[in-house]
Amino acid sequence: MKLLVTGASGFLGQYVVAESLRQDHEVRAMIRPHTDAQSLPWIDDDRVEIVRHDLCSGHELEDKIAGVDAVLHLAAAKAGDFYAQFGGTVIATENLLSAMDQVGVAHIIAISSFSVYEYLKRWTFSQLDEASPLEHNPNDRDEYCRTKMLQEDLIRTFSESHNWNYVILRPGVIFGRDNLWNARLGMAVGSQRWIRTGAWAQLPLTYVENCAEAVVTAVSSPSANGSIINIVDDDTPTQRRFTKLLLAQSQTPIKVIPVAWTIMRCIARSAWLINQIFFGGSAKVPSIFVPSRLHARCKPLRYTNKRARQLLQWKPRYSLIEALNRSYVANPQELNRREPVHAAVEGADS
Amino acid sequence: MNGSGRTKFKAAVIGAGKISEEHLKFLSLSPCTELTAVCDLSPSLAKYAADQFQAAEAFTDYSAMLSDCSPDVVHILTPPQTHWRIVTECLSAGSHVIVEKPVAISRREFHELWALAQKCDRQLIEDHNYRFNQPVLEIEQLVNDGTLGNIREVDVRMTLNIRGGGRYADVNLPHPSHQLPAGVIHEFLPHLCYLALRFLPEDLATEELQFDHVAAAWSNHGDDELFTFDDLDATVISGGVHLHIRFDCWSQPDCFSITVRGDRGSSQCDLFQPSVITAIPRKGPEQLSPIINQHKAGSELKVAARRNFMGKIRQRTPYEGLQVFLDRTYFALQEGADPPVTYRDMDHTLQLTEALLSEAGKV
Repeated sequence: MKLLVTGASGFLGQYVVAESLRQDHEVRAMIRPHTDAQSLPWIDDDRVEIVRHDLCSGHELEDKIAGVDAVLHLAAAKAGDFYAQFGGTVIATENLLSAMDQVGVAHIIAISSFSVYEYLKRWTFSQLDEASPLEHNPNDRDEYCRTKMLQEDLIRTFSESHNWNYVILRPGVIFGRDNLWNARLGMAVGSQRWIRTGAWAQLPLTYVENCAEAVVTAVSSPSANGSIINIVDDDTPTQRRFTKLLLAQSQTPIKVIPVAWTIMRCIARSAWLINQIFFGGSAKVPSIFVPSRLHARCKPLRYTNKRARQLLQWKPRYSLIEALNRSYVANPQELNRREPVHAAVEGADS
Repeated sequence: MNGSGRTKFKAAVIGAGKISEEHLKFLSLSPCTELTAVCDLSPSLAKYAADQFQAAEAFTDYSAMLSDCSPDVVHILTPPQTHWRIVTECLSAGSHVIVEKPVAISRREFHELWALAQKCDRQLIEDHNYRFNQPVLEIEQLVNDGTLGNIREVDVRMTLNIRGGGRYADVNLPHPSHQLPAGVIHEFLPHLCYLALRFLPEDLATEELQFDHVAAAWSNHGDDELFTFDDLDATVISGGVHLHIRFDCWSQPDCFSITVRGDRGSSQCDLFQPSVITAIPRKGPEQLSPIINQHKAGSELKVAARRNFMGKIRQRTPYEGLQVFLDRTYFALQEGADPPVTYRDMDHTLQLTEALLSEAGKV
């Protein structure tokens, strides 16, 4: 198949292009007009065609989509204010769908996020899966949650009304080289201190190469059509274990300050009450003190990839330790290898 | 009609970008307006804004919106290049128009729009929101009651780190303001001009402003082609009053300061961290006035620091003046009175803008 990958130069996008090639697809990789393409690992591969476009603009977008069999839509905005993220995520998707419709491309695999789920009212240690309720009050969460929910709704509504093939994938936390510490581990205080809460919370991790494989596999999985599928790996670690593995490899000493989940949620709840009583809920406080955001980041829950295994016939290729080993490889070219390169992380896990 | 028996205006918004949030907030809360429609080229954004602010309908075509909803007032919040076309259609459709600055790209275009507004018996009002921020109103009061004496100098400075990232620095999808004759600064310039002119003595604010001297250094200190200019350093002298206008995106921290100096005293404020510091002759021995002024400045800064801290927690923004501007505008529309921003205010702003642009050969 010939696949268009949007957001191809992003963290996941680079691996999705590589995985598409590995699965013998041709790729049209869409990157923004001024992205430096020379550092992209597949830039010299003859099977990759680079097209430059910013999806926030629909101008002449059709030409860049015509002729592909399916679109792997990864492009999204993760930073900026609400309107910047709305443009980079929702309007970008709107332009993409409209252009696909114009040129008769009717197959899309879209990447969403775990951020769309509701966390605050869930029971601690309950299982979060595709049937779990979505955030019912996105305005209380962050811009990313709000725009990803709108994006999902747009894709689902448009695809169903046009009778397209579509799959929406919701990866958990995607990790890999240069993307190891994440918001689910707590928060940084300066450069050498880290507040960790919810030590026994399972992390919904998916290693970037595993996730990329799921994304590309979804294109050729007819049984997945019209589905929403969570993507997490098999051996998702607890926050405590993952932090320990990362610390073992950290070049700079990082002091972890543990705060019990019960205490942290009480602090956040108190901050929320004070905000309601004294400021009518209008006060802006750090995310960690906003219950809905704190719960979305650190609440101990359980996760499953049962649906992904069923519908995509996908099995995460790399275990946690293998994934970490690959993430710490000095030379990215080494990633072509399919076996762990060294055992440094394994030693730390004992 | 609303509860007080006054006219309730059917209002609509064209352009649902960032600034629309402030307009929509006002329209959804004001007792004298009924938000009938939001229009944006993006269906998702139009629908989102309509849902968030309980507008009756969302449109992607403003012509359809005008014919379907017949709004009494239209807020035009689109890029400046589109103003002439949209304002013309809205006035012709019988709607009053409130438009984001600059109302028009040139003074000639503005005069055309104004003539049309007169012909249609509709109001055309440009948003001069910062004029209605509390610190500016306080300084205005000091000028009007003669506390500062005869005004000799007005200094307006905006420092914004727009090169450090965000929508103005995006090379992938350049912000529409980069296409204005003077680039991004052109979009901010009306704010600087109307604030400087606000303190020009009445006898100098004749229909056609007389400038004895205009010097404007327009620069681009960056090494890219995205920005036409990123720095403006201008001095205008009119009847012995010096106006300094400065836009800078290299210095830090961000500020939006106004200093007004008269022959009795001076007053300065920063709209980003609101406070007003005034130095005037105080009661008691003349030699003690500077000390008393310093003492009062220190007290004011302490109070302002507490107030601004609470304001930050409560997410107050420098757009506070926009709510006052809209409130006064709708009140004027109800009463059939002059709006808070008049023809002369808009025309003078464009005169000064064009005088500065002419220094860069951009008129």
